[in-house]
Amino acid sequence: MNEIMNEQSSTATALRDNAAVAEALGRSYSAGFVTQIEMTGLPPGLDEDTVRAISAVKGEPEWMTNWRLDAFRHWQTMPKPDWAKLNIDPIDYQAISYYAAPKKQPKSLDEVDPALLETYEKLGIPLHERAALAGVAVDAVFDSVSVGTTFRKQLADAGVLFCSMSEAIREYPGIVQKYLGSVVPTGDNFFAALNSAVFSDGSFVFIPKGVRCPMELSTYFRINAQNTGQFERTLIVAEEGAHVSYLEGCTAPKRDENQLHAAVVELVALEKAQIKYSTVQNWYPGDENGVGGIYNFVTKRGDCRGDDSKISWTQVETGSAITWKYPSVVLRGDRSVGEFYSVALTHHFQQADTGTKMIHLGKHTKSKIVSKGISAGRSSNSYRGLVKMEKGAEGARNYTQCDSLLIGKQCGAHTFPYMEVKNPSAIVEHEATTSKISDEQMFYCRSRGIAEEDAVSMIVDGFCKQVFRELPMEFAVEAKKLLEVSLEGAVG
Amino acid sequence: MTQPATLPLVESLLDAPLPASGIAWLDAARQESRDAFASTGLPDTRVEAWKYTALRGLAQRRFAHGDATASGRAVDPSLLALPGVEGARLVFVNGVFRADLSTLDALPDGLTLQPLSRVLKDDAEPLRFGWSRSATRAEAHGAADAFARINAASAADGMVLRVAARATIAAPVQLVFIGADGEGELAWHARNLIELGEGASLTLIEQHLGDGGQAQLATFVSDIHVGAGAKLHHVTLQNAASAANLIRHSHLRLQARSEATLHVVELGGALVRHDLQVELLGDGAKLHTRGVFMPHGRQHIDTQLAIRHQALNTASSSNWRGVANDRARGVFRGAIVVAPGADGSDASLSNKNLLLSAGAEIDTKPELEIYADEVQAAHGATVGQLDERSLFYLRSRGIPLAEARALLTAAFCRAMLDDLPNPDLREHLSGLLIAQLPA
Repeated sequence: MNEIMNEQSSTATALRDNAAVAEALGRSYSAGFVTQIEMTGLPPGLDEDTVRAISAVKGEPEWMTNWRLDAFRHWQTMPKPDWAKLNIDPIDYQAISYYAAPKKQPKSLDEVDPALLETYEKLGIPLHERAALAGVAVDAVFDSVSVGTTFRKQLADAGVLFCSMSEAIREYPGIVQKYLGSVVPTGDNFFAALNSAVFSDGSFVFIPKGVRCPMELSTYFRINAQNTGQFERTLIVAEEGAHVSYLEGCTAPKRDENQLHAAVVELVALEKAQIKYSTVQNWYPGDENGVGGIYNFVTKRGDCRGDDSKISWTQVETGSAITWKYPSVVLRGDRSVGEFYSVALTHHFQQADTGTKMIHLGKHTKSKIVSKGISAGRSSNSYRGLVKMEKGAEGARNYTQCDSLLIGKQCGAHTFPYMEVKNPSAIVEHEATTSKISDEQMFYCRSRGIAEEDAVSMIVDGFCKQVFRELPMEFAVEAKKLLEVSLEGAVG
Repeated sequence: MTQPATLPLVESLLDAPLPASGIAWLDAARQESRDAFASTGLPDTRVEAWKYTALRGLAQRRFAHGDATASGRAVDPSLLALPGVEGARLVFVNGVFRADLSTLDALPDGLTLQPLSRVLKDDAEPLRFGWSRSATRAEAHGAADAFARINAASAADGMVLRVAARATIAAPVQLVFIGADGEGELAWHARNLIELGEGASLTLIEQHLGDGGQAQLATFVSDIHVGAGAKLHHVTLQNAASAANLIRHSHLRLQARSEATLHVVELGGALVRHDLQVELLGDGAKLHTRGVFMPHGRQHIDTQLAIRHQALNTASSSNWRGVANDRARGVFRGAIVVAPGADGSDASLSNKNLLLSAGAEIDTKPELEIYADEVQAAHGATVGQLDERSLFYLRSRGIPLAEARALLTAAFCRAMLDDLPNPDLREHLSGLLIAQLPA
């Protein structure tokens, strides 16, 4: 039920967004720079004009254009990071189109790759949803403006602002200007700078003081997530005492080429606010020979700005050819809490270098990290984390648990935790293990008539339980199935 | 990389004349190492292996090369005595061999023990292979191994120790390096080669001492080869003078079924760095390391332990503890690599640390890199304080807080020496640990 409603509302938003884009396209750029921008997007290449064009397409105010340009100029001076345990083929930034308009869409499900449909079948995604995920233009029959407006009305009544980033820049410039880039500055790192310069869209959430968001927010609500392409920018602000749970789903394989995806997500939690951010990432991982797949280079950071605030990241990462992602929390407010729960699965030739940073600044701040890595095939899966206790982090605590599971002889599982402690009353604990699925466990399952593949997925599910528990229910079910699908062919 | 040539340290190291050996291959190898050092200079903190150890202060110093009068410097012989250790002894003062302080007569059968300077003079050829091997190793790491390079270029003395196949050397061999004040601030370099033949067994006690007040820079490179089925017990007591900067590289290679047990106690020095690399090359090789580092004052002690499992059914267990006080900084990296095909590896590593004061810092980084699946690997690290309940227990029995703290901190460190088989030596080392704790 929920899924259908999501889809309906997203269709509604999509229609509205398309109209907005169309309107923007009709305008000419005020600085005299005229480009015939068609729905196919900008041609490949990146220079200041590209940045200006993106800003113009989106009808952004001047401060936003300048913000992007500053980021772009900074980006040009930055070296590419090479510290991660990843083999990345050189990326030609001039060969990328930075405003990818909708790709050619299949007309009906019949035109969609049967392998893809089979995957959806296994995931138990309803037919309508499948159509939307496969990029089929959604039939108007499924569209119900009323349902969409119900959601919007319910949120608006609560005072919650939830819209696309482009819309937010137009409608709520004050809030955007105040918070955008305040957690991840434009020059934070190579990919964040690139994102700041060229981001196409993303989500904006603002929960005013004392409001508990009446429903879980999700990118599902807005179909434009499908078309935002490679560079999204998400900003979530929870004012004093506000609560919100946000779900980000890239829950089906997108049939894309080896493509760069560099998103930035910023979370701001003021006093006593709580933000829970859950991700199930399943971008196209490339085929079993390591051809194609998404480069997922994402900067996600939360700032517990107020006392007693809490930010919690939960991620299930099964997709992408290469993942470079470290959702972090800056624990600035006293007694603030940061959490990171992660399952990262790599198979075939996938590479993942993912983890978190917990920067403790405030007194009696607490953080907890639970990371589960599963490597299969010829993949490489690394956990990289930093726990930093600054001088002022009186009585701060961290607990980190980091387990890796190896399936097969040719994969790698690595753990690189950094602990930097400058306060004598802080406590940091880290534990990590690496092992394979034991023969005893397998034998036990097999002797009870459970097929090998089912046994593996049961054991993997148990291994990940601690993280799945943190996911909202629909996501947990999906995540479990995703692991099953992703591990197909990993044993035997 | 910082501009290598402009730093006083680099300049002074490059200005020093290379030791003249008259052996063509050796002179060439030294020149090559020095050129390599000149081209990369010192690592800065952007080099991952030096992330937590900045050389800014050290790099501004200028050291005179070697000590021409080292052979005449007075050394209090009582400094050298170690309870429970009576055997052959090799002593170096400011990197120069001192026959008068050493005990090399009546060596047991199967033990060859000589200063490197003498071996180079008498018959250098057998060293040729080993020498070039470590030079190529340094090649691979760029600036990170700058000090190994300058050592390869400049070291003219050190220890050459060989134990013949199946020889069991009962009495521990003592290797002592003493830093003594000279005419100016000195830099000196020592190179050790240690080889245990098949089935041999040896206990080696390595000491770093000094009581001078002058700044010094000393570099050490030790190549240790443990043959098939051989057993090595290596105890290191680093208690150098407080102005001494010590940079050590130890490289152990363990052959099939061999066993190495290492105990390391790091107490002295200003800036201390120890790169301890162990390769388990033969099936069934075993490694056991225990270490304590206790920086206080403004000391900086950095241990970089890297263990590589390269063969079947190898095992390593490591347990290191750090206590940082005052404004000192303790750095620990414990990396375990299980190479592809090294099935049956069993690796564990633990690093626990106590921070005793608000100005102190601990940076620790246990790492696992696993490329094989029939593996048991685990690591853990903690930084924190003494257990409140244990403190409460002691206080409830009438022990004042300060004393209870001292007791528990001492026990925390001493635990690393519990499995040291020589009881006298164990007590002596424990005493030194306790003496280093705040009163």
